[in-house]
Amino acid sequence: MTTIRLNPLSGTPLYLQLVEHLKHSIETGAIRAGEQLPSVRKMAEDLVINPNTVVRAYRDLEREEILELRHGSGVFVRESVSARIDLMKKAGPIMRSAVDRLESLDLGEDDIRRLMENELALRRTARQTRKRRA
Amino acid sequence: MRDLSVPNSAADEPIVAVTNLSRRFGAKKALNDVTLAVSRGCVFGLVGENGAGKSTLIKHLLGLWRAEAGSVNVFGLDPVSEPTAVLSRIGYLSEQPDLPGWMRVAELLRYTQAFYPRWDTTYAEQLLGQFSLDVGARINTLSKGQRARLGLIAAEAHRPDLLILDEPSSGLDPIVRRDILEAIIRTVTDEGRTVIFSSHLLDEVERVSDHVAMLHQGTLKLCAPLEEIKARHRRVSLRFEAPRTEPPEVAGAIRVDGAGREWTVISDARRTFAPAAAQHLGAVIVEDTEASLDEIFVAHAGY
Repeated sequence: MTTIRLNPLSGTPLYLQLVEHLKHSIETGAIRAGEQLPSVRKMAEDLVINPNTVVRAYRDLEREEILELRHGSGVFVRESVSARIDLMKKAGPIMRSAVDRLESLDLGEDDIRRLMENELALRRTARQTRKRRA
Repeated sequence: MRDLSVPNSAADEPIVAVTNLSRRFGAKKALNDVTLAVSRGCVFGLVGENGAGKSTLIKHLLGLWRAEAGSVNVFGLDPVSEPTAVLSRIGYLSEQPDLPGWMRVAELLRYTQAFYPRWDTTYAEQLLGQFSLDVGARINTLSKGQRARLGLIAAEAHRPDLLILDEPSSGLDPIVRRDILEAIIRTVTDEGRTVIFSSHLLDEVERVSDHVAMLHQGTLKLCAPLEEIKARHRRVSLRFEAPRTEPPEVAGAIRVDGAGREWTVISDARRTFAPAAAQHLGAVIVEDTEASLDEIFVAHAGY
């Protein structure tokens, strides 16, 4: 847990950085299903961030059914995240073959990252436009 | 431990209420009709360039200056007419802590302790250990960082209801800056305590604040929850097919920068929809992201 590095200047909100970090830790098994996470207070003090930022991250993960906030006893990783980990394991090979094919076109790391982000941004804009029209 | 019987401090009443406060220094308006409230339990970040009025505002909160126009209330009291009642509940650290150089560390803490009935000796000792401060050292032999840490203990060890830090990080190395940020977090996680701090280091402000106020030439330009300020602004980069001599006109733009084919707009997210703006102007969106606090403040300061 002490290895979390948050960067306020990265352009990604701090609570999202924390959400992503915790998800990644859970997906890689660094934090296990059923494990207890530090309290809001402890996490805020360790990371030197506003406690409300930690609350927001925990709430997000609760909404995504990754964490369970048990009143009075703490914050726990749900047992059901095992299914999510399996999903991520399935996604791994799909990603690998896509990147393999892009690399076979002689595209570098930066190109691939840009393509990926472009594609995601296009989809986001399309969704937003659809929402505005609706 | 907290004294809940203190009058005039109902939980929902703001800790600090500043109403239409103005102050002149000669011809210069140091504060111009400033109105703001700080609620209990929050970290209130005060930003603005040097001379924007941050320290002047803080000095009014401490009762060092009387309001020329408008009013200042801290814990529901006027800090000028009731200095003891207000100051006994405030911990204060300034950019250049004014510590008597001839005193030894232990002497200063004993001296400070005498002013505060709620001084927590165990806590002070714990911090001394954590900061590796030598209690026998004379203050004038301490480094700038160690002096700041000592100032922090003096400000924090009576567990004040309100901790006020005026540019505490200025000129300090990252390790001492972290100690100061940790003190801020400790103070708010300690139920109900409030922090007001001014800083020009916007990454620090972004890291720890709930609420941010921006002063520019004595005028309050922004005062809102950090989350709201972030959500309210976007940074949109546009690329045009042909170079432009004039900045593009984008609805909701607060600031437009650029030249030739590349222009960046800091805009009001409620009034700007980037795809529509780009289509209207015949431009391509290169990037559409959340603006950083830095960009937001520069945009509002209108340099």
